[in-house]
Amino acid sequence: MNKDRILPNEPVSTPSPAPEAQSHEQKLQAMLAALWIRSRHTVAERAALLQSAVEKMAQNRLDKATQLSAVDSAHKLAGVLGTFGLPRGTDLAREAEVLFGQSTPPGKVEIERLQLLLAELTSLIERGPVNPH
Amino acid sequence: MTRRILIIDDEDDIRLVAAMSLETVAGWDVLLASSGKQGIERAGTEQPDAILLDVMMPEMDGPTTLLKLKASGTTSHIPVLLLTAKVQGPDQIRFAEMGVAAILFKPFDPLTLARQISTALGWKDGG
Repeated sequence: MNKDRILPNEPVSTPSPAPEAQSHEQKLQAMLAALWIRSRHTVAERAALLQSAVEKMAQNRLDKATQLSAVDSAHKLAGVLGTFGLPRGTDLAREAEVLFGQSTPPGKVEIERLQLLLAELTSLIERGPVNPH
Repeated sequence: MTRRILIIDDEDDIRLVAAMSLETVAGWDVLLASSGKQGIERAGTEQPDAILLDVMMPEMDGPTTLLKLKASGTTSHIPVLLLTAKVQGPDQIRFAEMGVAAILFKPFDPLTLARQISTALGWKDGG
């Protein structure tokens, strides 16, 4: 089972949804899959911006404009990834938004956490949802 | 009954997913706007049954857009639902005082978005 689906696959023992609902779901899934293909480039660019920002952060070169862009990108990723069937991506992006948004300079622990979660986020985006919803 | 919903969001992906969700699942007509300014204009001319409004937008954000919609005689009656990825407790109270009908959260489930809107507005339809 793909853990990143918001809606889990229906267990075999549960009643099937009404044919009309099933049809809606199938149609919507096909549309979401097509939209993901169109959108994944933008999504990957936002993740790349976060990677670049954390590299600057690690070198103590993160300027205010890049920091604000990182917060904005993380916020947008948090809002959209779960809708495409990647709720883990939303969780990671939310954490990144908080860490990038801190007013105090980040410590080594925060930077290492950001590097780890962004590596996971990038990997998730590269794989994409197996089946959006 | 075919509802007409105006979605105001600066993100293309969110607008498109929300639109296909409401059209496919609920059979509603969807109008789109990519900024607060454009949304206010469309709301005035198109008179939708409800507005789904993003909070964080450049230039004119959601709360400012909401205030302008509520201040205008042609749009003040239209229920507005905020769609946001992050709302702190004090913000929820502030939005309620500004006359928001409901707050929905991103990421939303495309299969149940219409139902969430219907439930929030007391509509009987919504998939």
